[in-house]
Amino acid sequence: MGARAVYGIVVREWLRFLRQRGRVLSSLARPFVWLIFAGAGFAAVFAGRDAIDYRVYMAPGLLGMVVMFGALLAALSTVTDRDAGVLRMVLVAPIRRSTIAIGKALAATLLGTVQTLAVAAVLLPLVGLRPTWDGALLALAGIVLSSLATGSLGVLLAAGMRSIENFAGVMNFVVFPMLFLSGALYPIGHLGPVLHVLTYLNPLAYGVDLLKHALLAPWTGAGYGGELRVALDVVALVGFAVVGLAGATPLLAREGGVTRAAFRERA
Amino acid sequence: MTAAAIAASGLGKDFGAVRALDRLDLEVREAEFFGFLGPNGAGKTTTVHLLATLLAPSRGGARVAGYDVARDGLAVRRRIGLVFQETTLDRDLTVEENLRFAARLWDLPRRVAEPRIDRLLSQFGLDGRRREPVRALSGGLRRALDIARGILHEPRVLFLDEPTAGLDPRARRSLWQLIRALRESTGLTVFLTTHYVEEAEPCDRVAILDGGRLAALGAPADLKGEAGVGSLEEVFLARTGHPFADGGAA
Repeated sequence: MGARAVYGIVVREWLRFLRQRGRVLSSLARPFVWLIFAGAGFAAVFAGRDAIDYRVYMAPGLLGMVVMFGALLAALSTVTDRDAGVLRMVLVAPIRRSTIAIGKALAATLLGTVQTLAVAAVLLPLVGLRPTWDGALLALAGIVLSSLATGSLGVLLAAGMRSIENFAGVMNFVVFPMLFLSGALYPIGHLGPVLHVLTYLNPLAYGVDLLKHALLAPWTGAGYGGELRVALDVVALVGFAVVGLAGATPLLAREGGVTRAAFRERA
Repeated sequence: MTAAAIAASGLGKDFGAVRALDRLDLEVREAEFFGFLGPNGAGKTTTVHLLATLLAPSRGGARVAGYDVARDGLAVRRRIGLVFQETTLDRDLTVEENLRFAARLWDLPRRVAEPRIDRLLSQFGLDGRRREPVRALSGGLRRALDIARGILHEPRVLFLDEPTAGLDPRARRSLWQLIRALRESTGLTVFLTTHYVEEAEPCDRVAILDGGRLAALGAPADLKGEAGVGSLEEVFLARTGHPFADGGAA
């Protein structure tokens, strides 16, 4: 029970994604813009430039960035669903609220994974990274798990948001801190103690770390590979997914989500 | 003798300090065309949302299609169709993609859903538009598609919340023809809310709601006869002491 509804939610998100050309193109182009502009500047001042080319070092982080934008933005569509009324149709269907949260999170996982794989197919050859088979499999697992974790937390965030007007706030207080505290652009070990502690609360940090294990294994000795244990990364990502889904379910069931707008109109 | 399609007793809802619905006692019979009439703000939508399990009652309770709205939300939702005041269609998807999405949410297997979708699209005059995005449809056709979406799973009770709001007169007329044909072919119980008095005239029975309270209940002809007046609008005036347009005490 519920499997067909989850499938329906995923199919709908996929169809919407395919129709939003601008969203697809900007999500695919974004990491290359960072590679060119941030990569060129940081490469010159990067402390480890004798050990590893900064653009190679950046590659796992850029993939993590694609995961985050892809999965988080897909999950945030829950907010626009509420504005457009589509969420009401979903809420009046004979399915549990947890089914809705799972459907949305899996859709976000699919979109995050597909976009990241498309970027990886171009980015890795471009910077000259050729992962081993084991590395490629671990990277795939990292991409899927990171998409699931950020997607689930995105559903939680969206379920708690009243309108998409908060979107700038999300970018400032969620997306950018997540990115800069993820190890995507510099090793986490270089951060001060307060920020370093914050990285442990950042799902993207575990995802990027897993991708570094997968793609930067040859540079581990020089201090530019994964910094945490693989098992910890996996457990943390699964944990974030569970927390996101468990937190989003009661928020979706909140009655204000369906009717308060209608009530406000007439009050 | 069949069980009532809808039975509410002492049903009420508060939003903070605002009493949106006081205490509603109501029975709607199987296959009845029931009108729920009242000015804006009378508590009509609140009632529909309570009966559809989207809101939890503050007091009292209700059974819909034989199931308790507070305890058996899933069972109730499986047996009702609800067409909201504003469209709930995904404008970026095509007509048939919207119906397929609904079919999956209602757990209809493909072999059941596809013939139903074909039938509804031709019945509702949407056959030629099935591959067009919903955003390309007129308001009237969107409403028709909303209703097709609402009955795809063959509910026992169909709630229509202000279905003609925002439609031009011609679209309104064709929508009413559609609903009439649907009732004749399926024997569906229809619970209609409206603030257009004339739309409640063809109903088997109407309840008139004012400020969260039931002001009158009965067949339109009986209500008019009892009050000795010629229209439901005058019935409203006779029962509440104020004209229909001044309503909305909430």
